[in-house]
Amino acid sequence: MNFKPFKSLLRREVHRFLKVAVQTVVTPLINSSLYLLIFGISLGKSIHVEGGGSYLAFLIPGLVMMACLNNSFQNSSSSIVGSKFGGDLEDFKAAPLTPQNLIWAYSLGALFRGLIVGLLTFAVGQIFFCVSEGQLLPIHNVFVLFLFLVIGSFSFAQLGICVAFWAKSFDQLSAVSGFILLPLIYLGGVFYSIGNLHPFWQAVSRANPLLYLINGVREGILGHSDVDLGVAFAVAFMGFLVTYGFAYYSLKRGSYLRW
Amino acid sequence: MNTSQELPLKVEGLVKSYGAVKAVQDVSFEVLPGEVYGLLGPNGAGKTSIISTIVTLERPTAGGVRIFGHDVCKHPTKAKSLVGWVPQEVINHGFFDVDEILDFHAGYFGKTLSLTEKDLLLERLDLKRHREKKVKQLSGGMKRRLMIAKALCHQPRLLLLDEPTAGVDIDLRRSLWDFVKELKAQGVAILLTTHYLEEAEELCDRVGFISHGKILKMGPTREIVQNLTKKTIHLFLNDGKNVTLSVPMSQGVFEAVKEAGIDALSIADIKITEGDLEDAFRYVMREERP
Repeated sequence: MNFKPFKSLLRREVHRFLKVAVQTVVTPLINSSLYLLIFGISLGKSIHVEGGGSYLAFLIPGLVMMACLNNSFQNSSSSIVGSKFGGDLEDFKAAPLTPQNLIWAYSLGALFRGLIVGLLTFAVGQIFFCVSEGQLLPIHNVFVLFLFLVIGSFSFAQLGICVAFWAKSFDQLSAVSGFILLPLIYLGGVFYSIGNLHPFWQAVSRANPLLYLINGVREGILGHSDVDLGVAFAVAFMGFLVTYGFAYYSLKRGSYLRW
Repeated sequence: MNTSQELPLKVEGLVKSYGAVKAVQDVSFEVLPGEVYGLLGPNGAGKTSIISTIVTLERPTAGGVRIFGHDVCKHPTKAKSLVGWVPQEVINHGFFDVDEILDFHAGYFGKTLSLTEKDLLLERLDLKRHREKKVKQLSGGMKRRLMIAKALCHQPRLLLLDEPTAGVDIDLRRSLWDFVKELKAQGVAILLTTHYLEEAEELCDRVGFISHGKILKMGPTREIVQNLTKKTIHLFLNDGKNVTLSVPMSQGVFEAVKEAGIDALSIADIKITEGDLEDAFRYVMREERP
């Protein structure tokens, strides 16, 4: 089996976002830093956390996962939409690249960007935490942390592939990102514990798959979260399989013609 | 493997519909090794739809396409690895420079382009000095040449040229013609679509005239010109009169003059205008009109 086509596309994907690192890495990092400063440091002191502990420590895992998911989605979707606009997507279709090659190259490219921004967000969070608490925030379980970051990033990269193939304009792409994904991320427990909500809203929150991804990362860093780890993994893995199926269908049946 | 399986390109009963619109209607043709086959027709005739189906950008509604015996629908990866494609519209490639574009493109076809191979290709297409430029920094002609360099970087045995000289100046067009002749001499099979019939006459061994998705006429270029056009003989006579004779291409001048009952000694001068591919094309398109 020749892996060269896949490796070339992966290399292109990584080069692509690194060439505009200010836009793809620095800007999201500044956003995350502002959240940490405003919510974690300024407002955090007056926010009560279910089960005790500092609000900043609670916030950091949520922001790490939010940065990772957002950037993974943005990477694959904007790359494909850009390629539709420029015409490269026709090149990919005319080349002997299989849908599997495309899925994994786009997903791994997105994972690299998601992990870079997520881990940089974690590093900035550590600086804030060190200044605020006088010590670094320990990682409870590195394996669990990376497991959820990787599954979440792949799922969002695959979702980005589906949306980019479905979208007929940049507006439609931003609409999905702004009106569906961002609210789901915000309502998935990035900024609050669902333990503080009314039971009705707790039940509603549990229907949001992002709650399990975000709390998986929280479990990895803090060692406790709003959901059971096994359930969180099962939901995250199901999400991965479903988005993979849709991404495969999009690449197999979708149009590669330029806009 | 029999002969038909080894054909660089075999299009069989190809139909492509977009809803109620039939863009390609039962088209069949083949391209032989080392042959340049021209697909000629007006805008919207179905040329690009055929090429899009060959490179799997479009799925055929019926019929099929084989590249060196590999069905493009059943074995797309194998089939596509043997084809180079120059699309009609230039591809932008955003942030990447010429060097990177060629490296990536060769990689998509499973090939690592050595520096020597890349230098040779860039030199042949006069792009060496521009290797660090992005597509948007290149002139129109350079962009076209880059598209050709990309199509050739994995050394395909079948090349699809979809109006490669559209919008380029005469010098560049001539140099691209020379390049196509070189590739043909190396045994590369080429499918060419073009609006320039002079180009097709210069380059193509065989041509197919296409209109409304149907191939109306197909055959060796020379034979088509010979059979479908006429020779015009202008006779300037000693008494100051002019006579114009329109005769089949195969007919000799003296025979035509004799048949017209003109004494050869009364002719002061002769001007002969031979029919060309454009005349043949016009004739076929005129015949097709209801």
